[in-house]
Amino acid sequence: MNLVLLLPAALGALLALAIPLLIHLSRRQQYRPTVFAALRWLRASPKPRRRVRFDEWPLLLVRLLLLALIALWLARPVLHGAPDTTPWTVVAPGVPDGQVRQLAGNGEGELRWLAAGFPPLSQPAPASPQPVASLLRQLDAELPGGAALRVVVPERLSGLDGGPLQLSREVEWHVVPAGDVAPRQVEAAPRALVVRHAEGQEEAVRVLRAAVLALREPGGGEPAFEAAAVDEPLPGGMRRLAWIAPGPLPDAARRWIEDGGAALLGPGTGLELADAEWRAVWRDDDGTALVEEAALGRGRVLRLHRPLRPADMPQLLEPSFPHRLQALFEPPPMPTRAFAQDVAPVRIDVAWPAAPRALQPWLAVLVALLALLERWLATSPRRGGRA
Amino acid sequence: MDDDLLPPSLRARLRELRIGSRRISPLRGGGVHRSRDRGAGLEFSQYRGYEPGDEPRRIDWKLYARSDRFFVREAERDSPLTAWVLLDASASMAQADESRPQWTRLDAGKALAAAIAEVVVRQGDHIGLAVLRDGAMRLAPAAPGARQRDRVLLELHGVEARGVFPAGERLMPLWARIGADELVVFIGDCFDEACIALAERLAGARREVVVIQLLTVAERDFPFDDGRMFRDPETGDTLPGDGRALREGFLARFGDAQRALHARLDAAGIRHAVHVLDEPLERPLRQLFANDAEAAGA
Repeated sequence: MNLVLLLPAALGALLALAIPLLIHLSRRQQYRPTVFAALRWLRASPKPRRRVRFDEWPLLLVRLLLLALIALWLARPVLHGAPDTTPWTVVAPGVPDGQVRQLAGNGEGELRWLAAGFPPLSQPAPASPQPVASLLRQLDAELPGGAALRVVVPERLSGLDGGPLQLSREVEWHVVPAGDVAPRQVEAAPRALVVRHAEGQEEAVRVLRAAVLALREPGGGEPAFEAAAVDEPLPGGMRRLAWIAPGPLPDAARRWIEDGGAALLGPGTGLELADAEWRAVWRDDDGTALVEEAALGRGRVLRLHRPLRPADMPQLLEPSFPHRLQALFEPPPMPTRAFAQDVAPVRIDVAWPAAPRALQPWLAVLVALLALLERWLATSPRRGGRA
Repeated sequence: MDDDLLPPSLRARLRELRIGSRRISPLRGGGVHRSRDRGAGLEFSQYRGYEPGDEPRRIDWKLYARSDRFFVREAERDSPLTAWVLLDASASMAQADESRPQWTRLDAGKALAAAIAEVVVRQGDHIGLAVLRDGAMRLAPAAPGARQRDRVLLELHGVEARGVFPAGERLMPLWARIGADELVVFIGDCFDEACIALAERLAGARREVVVIQLLTVAERDFPFDDGRMFRDPETGDTLPGDGRALREGFLARFGDAQRALHARLDAAGIRHAVHVLDEPLERPLRQLFANDAEAAGA
């Protein structure tokens, strides 16, 4: 168990200790008048002994202690090796209100929502969904090793991510039945595609148009598809571009991509990207990369390695090509919902460094008490009203 | 009124006290016994034959009628004591101790003066009072009786410490009033050269002088621990200093001065006692007059 200061420079505030010392010292310079008839036998001492002395020791000590504690408080002390083993109970949003009230009424230890910042259970339920898996890992890392953790989750848990829940401790995984929650309606992303092509690339345009048409919703209208020559300005409001033209990419198009667009560039298009990491997002059966992806500004660039012609790229003829194209532009979301029973955390042997215990709240209480004591001492009547 | 001056504890002790003079006997160095000198007086002692030179009024004419011879009636000589209290009331007498700020040196002096007046009047002797202050003095000429005692107490009651000790011409009335062989009790702090000189001159002129020196606790112990601005009440001089730093030197010098003073008084044949304000008041009286009480009992 050792004390560590997270901000030792704040101990410079200890210089303020000089203030009460000076206050208590300066009053010492006065001489009390004293009638003394035997003055003729008194001699002024040849070397006046100026001893440093202070009056009102108790008050001075309290004031010094108060300032020292404030400086310590500013230095943010933490205590290592004194784990707080208070058991924690966290409740995921989505648990029925009745259960939550019951828990808040008779639960022991810390009762928190499994939400960002871990608000107390007495507060209203945070908005759903929360990144439950991520929060659980955070909590597991922050809690001291000995603290028991109990998690109350609804039957259907959302806010998961792709990774398995592997925590460093045994978790009491308490699943409560919850009413059916209506599945979230996913907004259909606009699938409009803008194509800019050079002369003689009409075949690629045809392929793209066919793919967009194939993705048409049953009963939906004509998906927006605009094909034009490269010198046509790019329309606003659209986020997908296919640039099928040899030669360097014009600055206007580049800015359009950097502004948040996703662009599929033909094999002959030149684009200078400094220190960009190209990542293959589509490979053929031999493992050769067909499309590579890199970030550009807020947008993405997808670089085709082959011309969009069935002769060069037989994959264009496969029935899955339209969905491939769709996935290139908009990767499908990861599954975030699961039955809570199936995603119960698994214990793995991993030791997080124990989170140190912050001492600031206790110091704050101590400082407040000392401040009260100082005021009481300073204003008590036996000091003769010298406050 | 006198209750203010005399603390009850002191009044209770006064019964045992007897104030006498060592010089009442005409036989110098006669020792502790009181005079058996015969002469004119009230108490009959014996008859003796007439001798030329005897006053005719002292002849017992009735005895002459019976025996046809001249006899002179002799009586034990009545030798009343006359005691004077000289009270120093200069400004330094107003000093008191911080532990007991209401009890000044002058208060102790008044109590001692009242006690002496009480005892002397009870013995049927004469008491006189001189208050020395403010460069002048107030006199209550010696007289016997309860009225004189009340007069002395009244005089004492109005005394306040002020000014400096009188000197020179101002003291002349004392010489006119205080006769030879009379007892003079001087009460004061004895810091002034003038008062010591007065006591020495009185003693040198055949007055029996007794000195009671009044000191404060501060002068004996110098108990100051902090910074002080010391002020002499009579000269107005001031001296700033730290009590701890000054203590050793002051106590040494003051002790030397006291020893020198006592040596001077001893050399002048003056009996003396020191009373510090936190001590019982009857102690100096006992110290000075205990021998007289023994002599009276003998």
